[in-house]
Amino acid sequence: MSSDRRGPRAAWRAAPSGLLTTPALAWIALFFVAPVGLVFWYSLGRKPGLYQTHANDVLTLDRYREALGDTFLTSFAGTLRIGLAGTALCLAIGLPFAYWLAVKVRPHRRFVVLALVLVPFWTNFLIRTIGWQVVLSPEGFASHAMQSLGLIDTPFSMLFTRGAVLLGVVYNYLPMMILPLYVALDRVDGSLREASKDLGANRWRTALQVTLPLARPGIAAGLLLVFIPLMGDYVTAAVLGGARGNMVGQLVASQFQQAQNWALGSAMAVVLIVVIALTILATAAAGAACTWLLTHRRRRELAGIAEGSPA
Amino acid sequence: MSSSATRHAVTSAGRAGAGDGTGSVDLRSVRKSFGGVTVVQDLDLSVNPGEFLSLLGPSGCGKTTTLRMLAGFEQPDSGEVLISGAAVQHLPPHKRDVNTVFQSYALFPHMTVAANIAYGLRQRRGIDRAEIRSRVSEALDMVQMTRFADRKPNRLSGGQQQRVALARALVNRPSVLLLDEPLAALDRKLREDMQVELKLLQNRLGTTFVFVTHDQEEALSMSDRVAVMLNGRIEQIADPYTVYERPATAFVAGFIGQQNFFDGTVADGGRVIEIDGGTVLLAEPVTTPGSGAAAVRVAVRPEAVAVTEAAPTEPDGSANALPGTVAAVSLLGDVLQYVVHADAGHELLARVPRRQAGRLAEGARVRCSWAPSDVHVFPAEATPRAPIGSAK
Repeated sequence: MSSDRRGPRAAWRAAPSGLLTTPALAWIALFFVAPVGLVFWYSLGRKPGLYQTHANDVLTLDRYREALGDTFLTSFAGTLRIGLAGTALCLAIGLPFAYWLAVKVRPHRRFVVLALVLVPFWTNFLIRTIGWQVVLSPEGFASHAMQSLGLIDTPFSMLFTRGAVLLGVVYNYLPMMILPLYVALDRVDGSLREASKDLGANRWRTALQVTLPLARPGIAAGLLLVFIPLMGDYVTAAVLGGARGNMVGQLVASQFQQAQNWALGSAMAVVLIVVIALTILATAAAGAACTWLLTHRRRRELAGIAEGSPA
Repeated sequence: MSSSATRHAVTSAGRAGAGDGTGSVDLRSVRKSFGGVTVVQDLDLSVNPGEFLSLLGPSGCGKTTTLRMLAGFEQPDSGEVLISGAAVQHLPPHKRDVNTVFQSYALFPHMTVAANIAYGLRQRRGIDRAEIRSRVSEALDMVQMTRFADRKPNRLSGGQQQRVALARALVNRPSVLLLDEPLAALDRKLREDMQVELKLLQNRLGTTFVFVTHDQEEALSMSDRVAVMLNGRIEQIADPYTVYERPATAFVAGFIGQQNFFDGTVADGGRVIEIDGGTVLLAEPVTTPGSGAAAVRVAVRPEAVAVTEAAPTEPDGSANALPGTVAAVSLLGDVLQYVVHADAGHELLARVPRRQAGRLAEGARVRCSWAPSDVHVFPAEATPRAPIGSAK
């Protein structure tokens, strides 16, 4: 903020209206466009020697050829599976929960429930994830409990399986799904649900025709907030999945940290960004197509009434 | 906007005045409380098929809760709710043959006007596409909104949204239409036009209307009968003339129109009432004279008060007359309203037709008088203080 004593107000008024967006634009340029641009630039280079991380003296697409090798693709398919399954599970758990929270819970109790959703979120990510290691290990209480209940005979271990990774990511990212869903559902006026029921729709039809379509922005936000960080997450996978939980993020990180091959790491990162973007676009297109199909009949039935054409 | 909106005929076969009880509403000993607070207590109400009934009362009187129990949004704690003769108190809203016009209109923002109106028809089985289309088209015509069929509700004015809400409810041809203060959000001129339109529409369709409002003028102008509610009970239910001319309680007297209230005691077998300051009021014989000196509350309508100029020295001891000084004059359209400070300490409102009398100036000495038949007497106990001038 300007501390111009001669008249900060006048100075503000005289400034072009675009001035107010400058800090935000600068932020995006400095912390988003520049790093992504750098990564893209590095990905076109090579690792020149043992002690150098990258060089752009020769521009080549060879790193992409390397990045699309078998190891990466296998791990990529696994990551995409975990990402899609984790996001879908978060939606499947988060949507009913957020609906319950926004619609059924009395307003003065919502705060308490929201706090319960957020409390684990305030604990360090790594500690929470390692906590699951304790629970899921063969000596952990999950195994003990199931043994003492007679459900299993031998100690079971979920640790270092894809299931454990899935459990870990759902646990870690669920609040990111619940919060935007809750906000969106909370904003749908209760009288709209009443109007729907009044007009003869039962609760399911009301949810499908009124509540969910109106909560669409929240659903989209939740999907993005879960899917994007989840695709890049490798800590959860490393802690709970071990060798079998290999995620792309892990490969990228190891290229940067262990192999010191920034060029290859960058190429992998670019591929990851592109695939995430394509997945999001495909999901959005599928969503739009679903909406179109669902409202198609409605539009056809009622088309042209405004022009006064007789039925 | 005019009543010409009603020129289009909407078929409502066999609904009007049907002898089979279709469209009747009965509440029997209905009771409802929220968190220990009784909102509706032992309410009995019956509405005839094809009737326009208003539930009128101040906020918190239970009128909206009553309507919501008819719609099915609230379940009564005890008692029965009957619609068209069948008990429905355990049926959810979507299984009841009633539709609601909400105060907020509650139009679906993601659907066009036409899709909003078609919504109810679409939920039912056995209505084919062509019928949906023709009924939506008819309903749009009825409220003169055909031009706006493809618009989203957020691109409509309040009055237009109101019409869409009405069409969306009526297109289903419910036995009973419930209206929850549907005109409250409109400006005065539009509201008055819509009152006329609604009344004409109801006459034509013959559908039972149950109309909730806190606006007494609205209730009086539209209803066949008005039920005045207070604290979860019906204080009086009668046609508008009776409610206005012969209010059953002091509350009704004060809530419907304006009143001059006096507190006093009955003497002479109920014919004479002494109010503080020693003034004597004459009334028609009180129907239930209190034994001895019963405390009463007396109401006189402002338009019943005649204001005449009086010489300052003129002595006055006659009944139903108070000498005083004009404190304020205001023009309310066709009538002049005087605020008179009576010498005995009372403050009186008087309304006289503007053309009838010359305008008296502030400070003029006057004599206010009225006929015994204009004096309404109510028992003083159990009459919560009604605000004088509760009219808008």
